[in-house]
Amino acid sequence: MKKLDLRLLRMIKNTKGQYIAVLAIIITGIFIFTAVSNSSKNLKDSINDYYAETNFADIFVQGLSIPEKIERELPGTNNIKQADARIVFDTHFITEDKDENVKVRVVSVDKNQNLINKLFIKSGDRTLSNNKDIIIIEKFAEARNIFVGDTVKLRINGRKQEFNVIGIATSSEFAYMMENEQTILPDPQNFGVVFLEENYLRKIHGINGNFNEILIKVKDENYIEQIVDFLEDNLDKYGVTRIIKREDQLSNNLLSQEISGLEMMSKSIPVVFLSFAGVMLAVMLSRIVKKDRTSIGVLKALGFTDKEIVIHYLKYAAIVGLIGGFLGSIIGTALSGVMTNYYLVFFNIPMLTVKVYYYRIIISVILSLFFCTASGFLGVREIIKINPAESMKPEAPKEGKRIIIENIKIMWSHVPFTWKIVLRNIFREKKKFIFIGAAVAITCGMMIMTTWMIDIIDVMFNRHYSEFMKAQYNISFNGFTNDNVLNELSEQLSIDKMEGRTELPFEVENGRESKIVTIIGLRENTDFYGFEDTDGNRIKLPSNGVLISSNLAKSLNVIVGDRILIKSFISDKDVYVTVKGIVNQVLGINAYINIDYLNNMFLDKGIINGVYLNSKDNVKGKLDNMKNITIQSRDDMIKAFEEFTTVTAVSMGIMVVFSGILGFVIVYSMTLMSINERTLEFSSLRVMGFSKKEIFNMLVRENTIMTFIGIVAGIPVGLWLVNYMGETFTTDIYTMAEPVNPISIFVSIILTIIFIISAQLMTYVKIKKLDFMQALKSRIT
Amino acid sequence: MGVAVCFLGVIMSEIILKVENLSKYYQMGEVTVKALEDVSFEVVKGEFIVILGPSGSGKSTLLNIIGGMDTPSGGRVLFNDELITNLTDKELTMYRRNKIGFVFQFYNLMATLTAKENIELAVEICENHIDIDEVVDAVGLGDRADHFPSQMSGGEQQRVAIARAVAKNPQILLCDEPTGALDYETGIQILKVLKDVNIKYKNTVIVITHNASIANMADKIIKMRSGKITDVIINSDPVSAERIEW
Repeated sequence: MKKLDLRLLRMIKNTKGQYIAVLAIIITGIFIFTAVSNSSKNLKDSINDYYAETNFADIFVQGLSIPEKIERELPGTNNIKQADARIVFDTHFITEDKDENVKVRVVSVDKNQNLINKLFIKSGDRTLSNNKDIIIIEKFAEARNIFVGDTVKLRINGRKQEFNVIGIATSSEFAYMMENEQTILPDPQNFGVVFLEENYLRKIHGINGNFNEILIKVKDENYIEQIVDFLEDNLDKYGVTRIIKREDQLSNNLLSQEISGLEMMSKSIPVVFLSFAGVMLAVMLSRIVKKDRTSIGVLKALGFTDKEIVIHYLKYAAIVGLIGGFLGSIIGTALSGVMTNYYLVFFNIPMLTVKVYYYRIIISVILSLFFCTASGFLGVREIIKINPAESMKPEAPKEGKRIIIENIKIMWSHVPFTWKIVLRNIFREKKKFIFIGAAVAITCGMMIMTTWMIDIIDVMFNRHYSEFMKAQYNISFNGFTNDNVLNELSEQLSIDKMEGRTELPFEVENGRESKIVTIIGLRENTDFYGFEDTDGNRIKLPSNGVLISSNLAKSLNVIVGDRILIKSFISDKDVYVTVKGIVNQVLGINAYINIDYLNNMFLDKGIINGVYLNSKDNVKGKLDNMKNITIQSRDDMIKAFEEFTTVTAVSMGIMVVFSGILGFVIVYSMTLMSINERTLEFSSLRVMGFSKKEIFNMLVRENTIMTFIGIVAGIPVGLWLVNYMGETFTTDIYTMAEPVNPISIFVSIILTIIFIISAQLMTYVKIKKLDFMQALKSRIT
Repeated sequence: MGVAVCFLGVIMSEIILKVENLSKYYQMGEVTVKALEDVSFEVVKGEFIVILGPSGSGKSTLLNIIGGMDTPSGGRVLFNDELITNLTDKELTMYRRNKIGFVFQFYNLMATLTAKENIELAVEICENHIDIDEVVDAVGLGDRADHFPSQMSGGEQQRVAIARAVAKNPQILLCDEPTGALDYETGIQILKVLKDVNIKYKNTVIVITHNASIANMADKIIKMRSGKITDVIINSDPVSAERIEW
């Protein structure tokens, strides 16, 4: 082995503490990048494969009564490739437990295989041989222990019907199985999807044998908008209520948002870690070169070229890059498997497999190698300037000028001597201490962001379901009814509060911006919503005009006073309404309107399609015999949410550890560097009678000052990160705009201090081992 | 007669190094420091030369320029009739690699390499080096070759430094106060080693020192003061290292 390489390996061994520290940061940065980007690629590729395999629809048209002939007439017109009509409706799934309220979406399918939105059979058979055959969606079957060969009961047209389970399948339309936009989380225990033979459903539930949905595949996706307009115009006579493009389809929309979030995360977080690692490497190598000044002069005297010497030191950085890149990408690839499997809990994608992307491992290694070598070069370029003759001479002592705070004589004269050394050192090595301060600031900031994320999920959910939306039960009718139904309900239940409401999808437009949202019609003095504007002030539902959620306002780019166009799917009317207020809403995206005003514009007086209800009575049990209703209870939502938060808490915990590692590693390695460089100084102090502990305390004081400054700076960093994460992760379902709880800031500061103290204590071990006296005798380079 | 013989000797012997009107100035603010001023002399191949002068006389500066580690402000240095004072950085590096061996006052060994590895480091880049084991024996390192510098005395470390320089098979061995950090007995041993390699490998040795006693072992003594040569003395009867006292 070449002697310079041997020297390099021994140099790494002698600085192994710092070396491992910077390696840890590189590995962390690379593995986060690899894990998250691989997971997002797994998800994206799997979804695309799944959609291609199942011929997932490009457009979903919902109507009232669509004749079969449309299936034949549409393809070939206006860029439409295929059309497939079907029947879809929600109904009760009858269970043994009378207190349970389980709903299913019934979807008609062809006997053998659909043209569009094909089923993916997981077990059993696909062919529905007779009217009593049923296929159950996998997540629901798993949650309810349903197997092929079992019988299940549904309530169809008010009658109990029994079916034989012939197959368990997945559907690309329900990869994320949400009942509607209002449900926040999937609840496979209480909501599922079942598939029945089309002709059978046309007979028993069809509207004169007609369908109520049609799926469209287009030839060229660039013409989607034109095709949607065409469909609106030509299918209007069949009572079209809604036309949904694939990008807005609930399951696909949520999957897309998840992938976007992952892609953003895979780019932003690793950059922080790699940037710190880069700075550390540059600093470490710069200090090694400075310390090795005489050795470098000797190497030049021996006849080594500048290039050979630079490469010798660059290899120090390059090895970190190679090992860090390799280990980080291997760990990241393994972790992406874990993350991908985590997605399987929520998403039902049969093609979601864990793939190893070997080319990504190579790319990660190359990126890491390049990055580390480039950073290292910043540190070693001074080598070129070293004159061999000058390097043999002892280096001039550092400048001993006074620091700025010494000018405040009154203060300075009262500062104890040991603190004077500390303050002078800090001011003389400003760059080093600013770096430590910055690391502490980032650590503290990331802790604040993470604790905020842990808090916010809980706050969001609790606040939404107790302060914003106060109904214990949300009962939906299958269609419209008169508000006289409220009297019927009063007779059956002991009710604390009850109000009729209307929830309908509308397309809301402001110029070029538009969104399909559910508009909720409410009584003017509703008891079931607590509206607050973005400043936290209470606002009432106006008698005319509309309140919109803050995320809808952002999406449409509207402010209070603007007029927006509301387009109904159930009538031809498009109406302009004034935005009277913008409300804080953490979950969901909606608009709120006086029910009388809404009915006046689009429906009839006294019409509702649901009820909000607070009652201590057994609501689900007592309303079990009511036909054509679905009941959503707040308790069910909270239970589903608790499962979700357990998984989230684990990932947040991991983030806390990563944040701490950054601060720990930097403080540890910078302190070690200090110890190595100041051995002679410390030796002199030992000769004077300072103990090792007193010397350690000096270092602790230096780092304490920077930790304090770092924590103070970390608070605005944390608040900025909170704002950034909130904007990035806000989706149509979550609006993450909660302020940071001061207790979270306090906890973050404590956690930061714990990591920093741990790093400091580890350096004491090093101080105890150093032979200060030997350093005074040593004349070896 | 002696001068004529000397002159004749110069003509007959090969001149390996010529220093002509060499100057080196440093600018320290408004003050110009003259480290070397109009220095001229010649060195014959195989000579053992001592450059003698007090601290600040310019002898280290002179050695550094001869060794290609520094550049002059004026004048020329010719090595085997080749002008080295206008060589590029890369050419100077090759000059130091293949023609020069340097021994420093404070040894300047690589702490993380053993004695033998320190020597191997130097010869790895050389075209035509001497066998390492032979050099290790020549300097009397014996069984210390696998020890690290921290495990060696000052004298042993200086032997390693000499071995490192000699193993490169240089034409000139430049020694900057080689006994400066050593006690008397060890210093004498080192001087003996230098003389032994001078005889065995027939390389030219230039030693700079402030210790006048050492000059007695030289073939030629060049005296310097305040950056100038004050005297050049041919020593017709150099003594062995063991007979030197200070």
